[in-house]
Formats: sequence, C-alpha cells, structure tokens
Amino acid sequence: MTVVASRRSVMAGGALVVAFAMARASLGQTDAGTKLAGDLAKFPWLDSWIAVDGEGRITVFTGKAELGQGIRTAFIQLAADELDVTPERVSLVTADTARTPDEGVTAGSHSMQDSGAAIRNAAANVRLMLAQAAATRWGLPPSEVATRGGAAHAPDGRTIGYGPLAAALSLHVAARPDAPLKSAGDRRLIGRNWPRVDIPAKLTGGPAYRRCRQRRVRRPRSASARHAAVARADQGSDRRLTANAGCRRMSATLERALERTAREVDDGKTSPGG
Amino acid sequence: MSVTFTLNGHAAAVDADPATPLLYALLGELRLNGAKYGCGVGQCGACTVLVDDRPAFSCLLPLSAARGRRVRTVEGLGETGRLGPVQAAFEAEQAAQCGYCIAGMIMRAQALLERNNRPAESEVRTALSPNLCRCGTHMRILRAVRRAAVAMGGAVRDAGEPVGPS
Repeated sequence: MTVVASRRSVMAGGALVVAFAMARASLGQTDAGTKLAGDLAKFPWLDSWIAVDGEGRITVFTGKAELGQGIRTAFIQLAADELDVTPERVSLVTADTARTPDEGVTAGSHSMQDSGAAIRNAAANVRLMLAQAAATRWGLPPSEVATRGGAAHAPDGRTIGYGPLAAALSLHVAARPDAPLKSAGDRRLIGRNWPRVDIPAKLTGGPAYRRCRQRRVRRPRSASARHAAVARADQGSDRRLTANAGCRRMSATLERALERTAREVDDGKTSPGG
Repeated sequence: MSVTFTLNGHAAAVDADPATPLLYALLGELRLNGAKYGCGVGQCGACTVLVDDRPAFSCLLPLSAARGRRVRTVEGLGETGRLGPVQAAFEAEQAAQCGYCIAGMIMRAQALLERNNRPAESEVRTALSPNLCRCGTHMRILRAVRRAAVAMGGAVRDAGEPVGPS
C-alpha cells in the first residue's frame, strides 16, 4: 500500500497527519489492492459523491468550490456521461460542509484530477450497480443489460428507470476501482463544449456572490497598531464585531451598518466587551 | 428621509441617509444582486450602473444624487430566457469566468452601444477601461461587445486587433 503524503503536509502536520492519511487510505483499498481514483481514495463510499432519488434524478456532491473555473459544468458532464443520463437530470452540490466530502482547498488545478476523477469513477460504479440490480430483477447476466436515457434496458425490450432501481439499493458501499469507464468513442458530453451552467445567473443579477450578511475585515491603521479589545459593536442591532490577530472582523445585514461599524473602529468608539 | 428615483423602469423609494452610497441601497434595501461591491472607491467598476443612461460607480454615488433620475442595473436588461442583446452576447461568447466584474462590464457596454452602436475597437476598449477583470476574460468580453453591437444594428469598426483564438 502506498501512502502519498506531501512534504508540506508532513512538515506541517507531522506524524499524526501521516497516520490519519493511512487509516483513511486503507478504506479506499480493495482486495485487489488497486488504488481508487482521485479523492475516492479518501472517501470511498459512493453515497459521499452521488445520490439517485426515486424519480431517477441524480445529485452529485463535490468538496471543490465552483469559482468560475467551470467545475460545476464539468462535473455534471462527467457524471451524466458515465451514468448514461442527460445532463439535465444531474444537479450538483458544491462545497457544502454539511453535505459534501471535505476535499480541502480548491486550488492548484486539482479539481478535475481529485474530485473529477472521483465523481467519474463513482458514477461508473453507480451505473454498474444499477445495471446489476436490473439484471438480478430480470434474471439476466449483467452483461446483457444496457443503460441509456436514465434507464436499464433488457435485450427483449423490457426497461426499468433508475428511480425504482435506486429505491431498492443502498449506495453506502465502497467504490471498486475497476468499474468500467466510457471509452472515448462512447462519450457524448466529456470533451465537448457545453455552455457553463453558472453563467446565466452571472449575467442577470442572480444570487451569485451575495450573502445575507455583509462581512469586512478592518486592519489596524499601521503595522504596529492594535485595535483595543474585542467589542460587540452594537447591542440590539445585528451588527457584529470580533477581533483576531489585530484585525477586526465585522458583519451586518446592511452594508451601511457595516460602514458605520468600520468608522467606529477607526475612531476608537467601539467599546471593549462582549 | 426617503429618496425616490426610477429603478429599472419602476418607482423606487429608499428610506436612508441621503449620503448612503447608491450601491448600498441597491444591495440592501432594494435587494438586488447584480451590482457588486468590489473596491468601494471607484477603482474597479464592479458596481457600475446606469444613471440617466450614463455609467456611474454606484459605490461612490450618494443616494441623494439619484433622486428623480433613472437608475438601471443588469437586472433591468433582461432575465434568463429573455436576455437583452448585451447579456445574450456575453452568454454566446461565454464571457464570464468568476463573473464578479461582469454586471459592471455589461452595463458599461450597454451605455456605449446605446449611444453609439458603431464604435471603433479603440472606443470599446476605452469605454471599458474603468472596469477591471482579474480572471483575464478580456478577450471574450471584447468579442461579446462586438457581437452585441451587431445585435443592436451596428458593428464594432476596425476590430482587426489580435483577439486570440475564438
């Protein structure tokens, strides 16, 4: 078994990090001893990556954040191709700490190789499981079951949608590394230009980049200066002020409430407390 | 004291200090998303809106300066499925990466093309120069403006400068 620990992670985290990585990596090993692709090695359970609901709708989970590089679109293309569904059947949840695998930072051109590889292979695993479930139901060898358009098809014309198949299936199983991937000739979406799904909202004032609360960091006015102790800016309003490493972190619902807090910080008017 | 103006063709009233930047009223009280807070000092253009058809940095413009005037934001140009010609051109050219600057870019391009739908390439570049894009989407943005000019019955003249692969 090979454990890959970067020099940086060893330097930063020491032996504890390495031991943890070994424990998690071992989950990703199969009897064949082949390594799972990308972050499937860290999170081998299929339901960490993919859900299929009773209507056959697919949800894909990624720990990488869409920030305009287009991964929302690319991951949908990967999953839809491997699952033999149209991309409209696939929705994607990105970087939600409650729902998605913790894939660390989104940086260094790693999203496709870490998360993309995981999603693609997880989708291939799920397609295989759905095909096998249909084969079992029909008493056919799995090789005779084809998948297309979000359904399994038998040679005699019988067909069953992913929804009912998935309803009788748990995806809380470890991925296998050898689930067959689509060959280049069988891909309909991967490798083709597909309009980015995040762009329309960015052209029309959709909720991209909007938060319920506005946040700002205020640094002291000079490198050596330090703000006074942490203050709760304004009892009774929703303004909040905290301090860390000499910086004030502020938040408020309305931008101008935030500006007022900033001015008070600059003027030394916020009293310590809270 | 309430400040009233026209927002995307509808009457709007904001009850706030007249010195409040227009942007804060748009994002806060008026619950719009399009104009963005970038730098807050008129140096990036992410907050650009049209005031009586001219582009303005809404982060610098006091609410009082909008009184009685026509304010337009990207929301007023169209919506998904019914995009305005500039928005549609940006979509066709996939001219957004992170997209933070794009509403401001679209508004500035809209103002230019409404005033002159046959600008020279150099005029396009000059008109857009107050707006920064740090993703590096500039070539796609320029292509989108050229496409929008055609859609609005004109064309960008002398668009012969190198624009990179399409």
